[in-house]
Amino acid sequence: MKKKFLGSLALAGALVLSACSGGATSDGGGGDSGASSGDSAGARELLIWVDTVREPACLSYQESVAGEIDVTCEVVGQEEILPKIQLSNQTGQGWPDVVFSPPNSAAIYAEESNGYAMNLSDYVDPAIFEAYNTSNDWCLIDGSYYCLKNDLAQTVLWYDTVIFDELGLTVPTTMEEFAATALELQGTGYMAGAVGDQGYYAGYLWPSGCPMADVQDPATVRINPDAPECTRVSDLMQPLVDAGVVDSRSAFDAGFIADVAQQTKVAMQIGPSWWGEFVIRPPDSWAVPEGRITAAEMPTWDGESTAWSGEWGGGIWVASSHAVNPQDAADAAVYLATDPDMREDKVTFPGYQPAFEKWAARVGADPYYAADPTVAMVAQAARIRQDNNPVRFDMRGQIGVLQTEINGGATLEDATRTFMQTLIELAPGVGYTVVD
Amino acid sequence: MVANQVTRSRRPRNIQASAIPGKAAAWIVMVLFALFSVIPMTWLLLAPSKTQPQLQADPPMSFGSFQGYVDAWNNLMLFQDGRLVTWLLNSIWYTGFQVVVASAVAILAGYALAATRMPLRKSMLITTLIAMIVPQVAFVLPLFVEITALGIYDTAWAIILPGTFFPFGVFLSYIYFSTTIPHDLYDAARIDGSGDWGVFFRVALPLSRGLIGMLAFFSFQVNWINFFLPYLVVNSGEVLTLPVGLGILFSSTPALNPQVGANVLPIRGPEIALAGLLVAIPILLVFLASSRLLVRGVLAGSVKS
Amino acid sequence: MFKHRANFMGRINGMLMFLPYLVLLVMFAIVPIVMAASVSMEKSMTNPDGLFGNYLFVLQDFRFLPAVINVSLFLLIYLPAMLIVVAGLSLLLDSIQSRYTVPLRLAYLVPAGITGSVAILVWYFMLEPTYSPFAPIFAEFGWTQGTDIFNASNLIYIFALMTFFTGAGNWIVIQYGSLQSIPDDVLEAARIDGANAFQIAFQIKLPLIRKYLIYMLILVMAAGLQIFVEPYLISSSVYPGIAKDWSLNQLGYTLAFLGSNLGAATALSLMLLLVMVVLALIVIFRTDFFDEAKTKIKEA
Repeated sequence: MKKKFLGSLALAGALVLSACSGGATSDGGGGDSGASSGDSAGARELLIWVDTVREPACLSYQESVAGEIDVTCEVVGQEEILPKIQLSNQTGQGWPDVVFSPPNSAAIYAEESNGYAMNLSDYVDPAIFEAYNTSNDWCLIDGSYYCLKNDLAQTVLWYDTVIFDELGLTVPTTMEEFAATALELQGTGYMAGAVGDQGYYAGYLWPSGCPMADVQDPATVRINPDAPECTRVSDLMQPLVDAGVVDSRSAFDAGFIADVAQQTKVAMQIGPSWWGEFVIRPPDSWAVPEGRITAAEMPTWDGESTAWSGEWGGGIWVASSHAVNPQDAADAAVYLATDPDMREDKVTFPGYQPAFEKWAARVGADPYYAADPTVAMVAQAARIRQDNNPVRFDMRGQIGVLQTEINGGATLEDATRTFMQTLIELAPGVGYTVVD
Repeated sequence: MVANQVTRSRRPRNIQASAIPGKAAAWIVMVLFALFSVIPMTWLLLAPSKTQPQLQADPPMSFGSFQGYVDAWNNLMLFQDGRLVTWLLNSIWYTGFQVVVASAVAILAGYALAATRMPLRKSMLITTLIAMIVPQVAFVLPLFVEITALGIYDTAWAIILPGTFFPFGVFLSYIYFSTTIPHDLYDAARIDGSGDWGVFFRVALPLSRGLIGMLAFFSFQVNWINFFLPYLVVNSGEVLTLPVGLGILFSSTPALNPQVGANVLPIRGPEIALAGLLVAIPILLVFLASSRLLVRGVLAGSVKS
Repeated sequence: MFKHRANFMGRINGMLMFLPYLVLLVMFAIVPIVMAASVSMEKSMTNPDGLFGNYLFVLQDFRFLPAVINVSLFLLIYLPAMLIVVAGLSLLLDSIQSRYTVPLRLAYLVPAGITGSVAILVWYFMLEPTYSPFAPIFAEFGWTQGTDIFNASNLIYIFALMTFFTGAGNWIVIQYGSLQSIPDDVLEAARIDGANAFQIAFQIKLPLIRKYLIYMLILVMAAGLQIFVEPYLISSSVYPGIAKDWSLNQLGYTLAFLGSNLGAATALSLMLLLVMVVLALIVIFRTDFFDEAKTKIKEA
């Protein structure tokens, strides 16, 4: 009898608590306790999540509004942004007012059931969007802008002019020429870059038009590993990997950096617009000497009329729909994405025209580069292939799996198939029908 | 069992002169395993004394300079303005609180099971045994659901409170009080007129120094290194503990993953090794200090042979 | 009359002493399970009927079976390694009774702090040829690159190594402690009978600590089934994607926070918990492990 009593007491307690937990699983909507507790009379507050590279930008914003708005800059790993936002949705609290996020999550935030992203079209001056031209189109979802592109990470062809002169090579303009030039490097000790990282997805699969996340409408996505646009990539690149002129390690791999990159043995590499400032140049990284490096336009795939680019990165600034002071959040996002002075010395290519002009002036005049790399970057900025879109499942995580497969020695074709097969498996769980 | 331990003889147990080659082989194996055990920690101790290039170029077991530690520390302080110190202090006070509360609760509960006439002792013991075998990690997602409902999400209490539930401690305490303290002692005290509380405070507690040591040891170890639960139930960096903070450093600094902010933050190998030391050293010290406790036979008496 | 009152007070006092623990037990073991069960049965896209849809969804998820296999293979390597090394080394320590084994015992305790996030840190450096003190040994096997060691097919061994490294040492010391409680007369008798060191170790001592070893295996297996931190951290920061959804708990995490499906995540969590509880019940009721502990209740 006592046993039953205690047992029912526990159960009763549990049921009472469960009843009170109504808010535990409702997402977004209820309990709009945004991270900023902004009391109406006192100082306004903003919580901004950034990665390490963007922290200085956040701190300069903090300084610029000191006294009016109390800004907190919290460094959060990029891999954790999406789960943390989901966590906030589950718990109904803790959203950052502004977040710097990997771009693939844009559709997830904008989606109604998630509801995190603020519709920026409501709070941001249309002139800002106009000054982006098409560079902010990634953020255009269902007719409204849900984010601001921090930068464009369009891929270009980086090459070492000194090595090219030495070997008498010409800069390839088609992918066939790229492969041929790469094969000419065989035996010379020079290499045509590494593909064991996100670069394979961004610099080869995407520009080729391989349908990995080709959103037709909110309920349909085209993912087709057998498409010729996919198979031609592995057909072209596998011989280069086998010949040893393209490395299956990551460009950030300690071994690759020590053996190849820091020995100035990279003759050419398809890489994003930030590659020069962030990877090739810094002494901790490749440390390639001055006066050698520049960028050319992307080589064209056979049968394509445009020299398409993909994007490696190109993070987005998202403002929270739960922000206590939405205008403040929107203003912060605008500053962080576009402020020309602040952006001038950063490593990434701004999408916002006025900021871009300052940045290009600096980089273009920089004697580090053998020739102005921004010319190619500008050309490629308008050529980011549009059939790879933000999707509601975790694309970014799967790209990591693709990388692991390549690093592990799988053939490019097998790795790509495995990668795309997981995308096909993930899509239905978030409401997509997969088509060829 | 206790009697045996106290009068353990010092005679060699079973060495024969003819077993010398066997003895040598045994020593080699034991020493090799000892080396294997010690090398990584030694590396960790030496790493912050070097600079990143030295870490790669110099022999792994070399010593750099004492200045290296200072530099590494200063660099670590650059991350979010000394966030590391906040993490360290959090770890210290959360774990301290947990150890005190968990031990106190466990001692009382174990005593109640062992020496009082509380009802349902058998069921409570069985429940404790089950809870003891199932690790806390198994409860993490359900705990997340509950903590959110209770409204303590993202607070220190979300981390601290679940750690005060310590079924293994209750079990240890129960075994201790039922085996180590002879029943005559309890009866004698009762005859003198003490109630249960009196017996507890005047007889049981003064004799439980060994138990308290073991409880503190186990609850410290399990709570200090806890990662999964704090990671889920706290979102704000300032409330987090050191092990989780270390994880944040992995993903936000170039130490292990150069893609992240390589030229913005000078946090590389030596710095992250120093952070790792801060997590590992307290456990190491506690283990070394408690080595006698462990040798004396934690299990003896609890799981009978 | 006095005894009756003493009995009654005994019960009350006992309950009061037990109460704080009982509160914690209910709050942090029982209630979470009930709430999680409730969440796992809520209606959602993967659970349209509001019943066991989430459970079915998890069992059919393309990542579930691989995760089960991963964890099983991991345990298949980790548990025997623990058993052999812990039993072997503790027996060795015990057969060589010398004060010089004290530093050895202390040495075996040193790795205990290297667990969780620290384990990833340390083992990254221990296995990456560019940094590792073991690099010459790796070179013998032809491993010169980080990716030679850190790749998907080696994960089982890497995680087994990490968890083994942390746990083996202190279990050796604990089992050594158990060995100390073997009465000397038993060993004396065996020696008189002419048994050598091996025979004494394997035929006398080992059976006597068999229970402790099994108990260790059970605890270690329960913890191993729940592995999360090591694969999660290595996959989210060091080698992105290398161990994505490798373990069952990682899958739970992904379902909850990358797939927005807390219902499925709690379903998985509860299934895993059920396995643990069944394991615990088998140990408690089907073996004589805790019999002494249980009978003490009657004596009191």
